[in-house]
Amino acid sequence: MIAGAVLEIAAVALVVLGVAFLLAGTIGLVRFPDVYARAHAASKCDSVGAGSVLLGVALHDGVAFGDLKLVLLALLVVVSGPTTAHALARAALRSGRRPSTRDPAGPA
Amino acid sequence: MKTFALVLVLVVAATMVIGIAGLPPHGDPDGPIHTHVGARYLERGVAETGVRNLVTAVLLVYRGFDTFLEVVVIFTALVAVLALPSATRRPPPARGESTAAPRRGSDDAVPVSPVVFFVVRLLAPFIAVFALASLYRGHVTPGGGFQSAAIIGAMMIALGLVFGREHAARLVPHGAKAWLQALGPLAFAIIAFVGWRLTGAFLGFPADEAAHALREAMVVVLEVAIAVGGAVILAQLFMALDAPS
Repeated sequence: MIAGAVLEIAAVALVVLGVAFLLAGTIGLVRFPDVYARAHAASKCDSVGAGSVLLGVALHDGVAFGDLKLVLLALLVVVSGPTTAHALARAALRSGRRPSTRDPAGPA
Repeated sequence: MKTFALVLVLVVAATMVIGIAGLPPHGDPDGPIHTHVGARYLERGVAETGVRNLVTAVLLVYRGFDTFLEVVVIFTALVAVLALPSATRRPPPARGESTAAPRRGSDDAVPVSPVVFFVVRLLAPFIAVFALASLYRGHVTPGGGFQSAAIIGAMMIALGLVFGREHAARLVPHGAKAWLQALGPLAFAIIAFVGWRLTGAFLGFPADEAAHALREAMVVVLEVAIAVGGAVILAQLFMALDAPS
């Protein structure tokens, strides 16, 4: 009984954490100044955001064999998301995009 | 201009809201989508088609003509892209924005990132297995030929990006390339004539119980042809857009 409650709390906490990361990453994607900062923000969505939502869903309603699929999905997201961000940033650098050095506090 | 845009948005939005208000309630059993052929598909679809996934049953058997032409559309798209002169010639380098870093020759000279190389090699077998599973399980669960085609095509594109175009081109035997590209429409045409011989209707499927295995075989042939043909077309589209001069 207690173990079930602990699992449930952990599941909800993971989902909430994931949603918070997704929200922050999405705001970053819209608001950040250049492709590098945006790729940085968006990759947080993928790996931590989607990853912990999936793990939370796996823990929800007890742990069953079928939850292995969700863990595999989370693994896939954790492997492929950062790789995509890396490839994007590398392509941007190779094609000559300069990182933004504008200081938001100073004169634009 | 801004006022005009605002008025336009409001008018279009209002029209759409009025349209949505006219729709039957969600899940209404007397709604138009439940009172026509839908009920028959649900009641007798499995028995009539031998396909346990009703989406596949509708796609390939009940609405076979629709899918036939969809396959033709995909094939036509490839023909159109291959006929474009820009598909075989590299466009001039874009001017404007950041030209800070010097371009090092052509893009093909850029070495592949070891990270991407490793991850694509790691994931490719899993992607292939997923594509086959989606094709095989399409009878019972969501999935089927089109999904499988998208997955295999994406895998071929990823492998092409990492191992180079020449290497990826070898995935498709040169002599069979044209046939594989046309595999979807060809298989549909053959199955359509087979159905004509058997039932008297173009693209007809034999409905009697005795022909169960034959009917299933026809559906499987279509599924595999859609998957393989679609994958080859997708990969070919990508390669054509990216081809060196």
